[in-house]
Amino acid sequence: MNSSSRSAFANHLLIYTLVAIGFSGSIGVGTVWLQHQISLVAKANKAIEAKLKDCERQSEQATTEIAEEQDVSVLLARNATWRLGLIPPGKEAVQQVTEDPIAHMVLKHNREVFAEANPANSLAPISLRLALQR
Amino acid sequence: MSRGFASNYRISLLASLILLAFGGLGVRLVWLHVLDRKELLGHIQQVRHEVIDEPAVRGNIVDLHDNILATSRSMIVLGADPSALRPADEGKWPQLAALAGIPLPTLASLLTTKFRAPAGPTPAPGARASLVFSLPAAPNATPGAAAPAAAAADAALAAADADDDTVLADPDATGRRPIKWVKLSDEITESTYQKITQLGIAGIYGTRTYRRAYPHHELAAHVVGYVNQQQEPVCGIESYVNFYLRGENGWVESEKDGHRQELAQFRTREVPQADGYNVKLSIDAAVQTMVESELDAIAKKYQPLKATIIVSDPRTGFILALGNYPTFDLTAYNKLTKEQQSWMRNVAVDSQYEPGSVFKIVAASAALDLGLVNVDTRFDCTLEKIEYKGKIRNLPKEDISDHFVHPLTVAEIIAHSSNKGAAQLAMLVGDERFYDYARNFGFGQRTGFPVGSEIAGTLVPLAKWDGLTITRLPMGQGAVSATAIQMQQAMGVIASGGLLLRPQLITQISDREGRVVYAYGPAVVRRVISEQTARTMSTLLEGVASVNGGAPQAEIPGYDVAGKTGTANKVMPKTLPSGKVIGAYSQQHHVTSFVGFFPAHARANERQVEIAVVVDDPDAHAARGTVYGAWVAAPSFKNLALKLIPYLDIRPGSAVVASPSLALEGGRR
Repeated sequence: MNSSSRSAFANHLLIYTLVAIGFSGSIGVGTVWLQHQISLVAKANKAIEAKLKDCERQSEQATTEIAEEQDVSVLLARNATWRLGLIPPGKEAVQQVTEDPIAHMVLKHNREVFAEANPANSLAPISLRLALQR
Repeated sequence: MSRGFASNYRISLLASLILLAFGGLGVRLVWLHVLDRKELLGHIQQVRHEVIDEPAVRGNIVDLHDNILATSRSMIVLGADPSALRPADEGKWPQLAALAGIPLPTLASLLTTKFRAPAGPTPAPGARASLVFSLPAAPNATPGAAAPAAAAADAALAAADADDDTVLADPDATGRRPIKWVKLSDEITESTYQKITQLGIAGIYGTRTYRRAYPHHELAAHVVGYVNQQQEPVCGIESYVNFYLRGENGWVESEKDGHRQELAQFRTREVPQADGYNVKLSIDAAVQTMVESELDAIAKKYQPLKATIIVSDPRTGFILALGNYPTFDLTAYNKLTKEQQSWMRNVAVDSQYEPGSVFKIVAASAALDLGLVNVDTRFDCTLEKIEYKGKIRNLPKEDISDHFVHPLTVAEIIAHSSNKGAAQLAMLVGDERFYDYARNFGFGQRTGFPVGSEIAGTLVPLAKWDGLTITRLPMGQGAVSATAIQMQQAMGVIASGGLLLRPQLITQISDREGRVVYAYGPAVVRRVISEQTARTMSTLLEGVASVNGGAPQAEIPGYDVAGKTGTANKVMPKTLPSGKVIGAYSQQHHVTSFVGFFPAHARANERQVEIAVVVDDPDAHAARGTVYGAWVAAPSFKNLALKLIPYLDIRPGSAVVASPSLALEGGRR
């Protein structure tokens, strides 16, 4: 390249112009690509957002349907249709106990266990005699 | 570079051309971006700019155990563009009609009507503006039908603002207006909509919206209230805490393409919606169900004018259940006839009646609290007249003549509901102090109950009392009228140990993530009587619900029940021989009530409940044609109490037996 003659300026101008065109073109292409990527990401975000909202809607729909199924009139109808024979608890289903309820339940359970082991309940009462020796 | 090509002239020319071209581009850019900026931006703004509304989801109303009483569910507004329908799809119309719940002839009529006469409604300019703003619905529409669905969504939402749901185009040459969109149904569920879209009928579009759902229909209808079709809260908790429930809509400022699809990358501003808070009530759905089933039983047996049952925790003032008869279905409020509109009234707070003998608790409490009497102080209840403040006053008659042959103790006055005894107690207290006690018990003033257009009731001011007031007021007649909630509150004074508590419904307000925003606690209004007086009164009221008391029907074996019956004659219009119509106490129309609590002497850590049963005019279907609170209301109190005992694990009060209880499986003992 002639860099010292009179055409040097023109050569440089041409080179720099081409470089500038190439550079600005690549910037332009890059920008377009970038905007396209932004657009894709935005669309993807929007789709995810819509999907989340859809999930929320479905969840709310399911919640409402569950609540409707738990309505007393519906449950009573199911009880009748399926012949479950369930009855509401009444006062007679509650037994008042005077001692500690845990001890009461343990005693009751053990009584049943012993009764199964020995239906005739024929075990003689055991008495232990302690003799103190001096 | 060869000299032949790279001559100065050619290179300079080429460079100049390139520069000129770039210069031209630059000038054009300046032209577009600077000189024509305003005009072009205006055009762009008009065509591409959009503001997408992000509607907030209304919060839920839940009961004490988080059972949903009111929620928002996604619903689809289904509509059609009659001009876009294809004849080939007509065979699918019966399926569409079945899915949409529309009679086939109605559907066919809607779909085949393509024009409306010139006199049809014209969408206002504002409606068109809202159409532009309504584009946000498009993202919710079914994929694959984006543009038409967006248009349909616009039309649907724009139509929602208009009186008529149908959206019309501009008139054609003949003056007829083509129908752009007609609503088929606004109650299509997601699952149904999926089936409809699977039919693949062109021109049928849906747009999603949130609608209020009341899964339990009639349950606690007067408490929960409802949101109307315009999504405005009308009554109940829905209206009272609308500020918390409604949330705040969000919005997105963005641009749209030629297909009216949002260009998400051009979103400039985004304000997310703030969904409404959830409101937790003190209402227990199970207790409410028991209350409403008892009201049904009362209605079936007596066919009263109206009835109310309230269940509350007297120590906190929180209402566990509040039911009225008649009631209504929250999902069908718009199907009530004009005559049935009154069913929506919360008569527990907006209807007053003379409380009758329940009011005797005021006279007895006042006399005991002031130390003027003790439970054994006796009064002659056979007297016809008595001197009070230097004048002879007529004492009221007793309900049962010749019943009291000996002077009655204060305990007997309460147990047997003696009118003469109550009057003498009030006279002992004196006008001023008796009036003050009545006010302190909450009569003649609103309780502050949050829902139902509460009224203050009536307590005639002292200055307007006549000579008979001091003898009639203590028996709850004449100068006093109260609502059921006021009676519940007044009896609560005795149950709570002398404190007047504000009846409350809301326990807490929380956000969607469950974080508590505000929690409500017991609200003490004032101390009315001492704790000792309250305990004494509880004991006296136990005498009422006993074999020897006035309401043995309320007695529950093993439990100490305190309560008071009330039977008030209703004031009915009476025509005099002169033709003049006056109000007079009727012997055929009564308001009967029983207000009580149990266990009367529960410990601080033991559950105690208060129940008020008020039945208005059960006379016509009552046995022997006459009624008393003990016969009508007290049995309902007991029925309800028996159901509440196992459910709420109510244990006998310390006065009866101090013992825990065990629920046996399957009711075995």
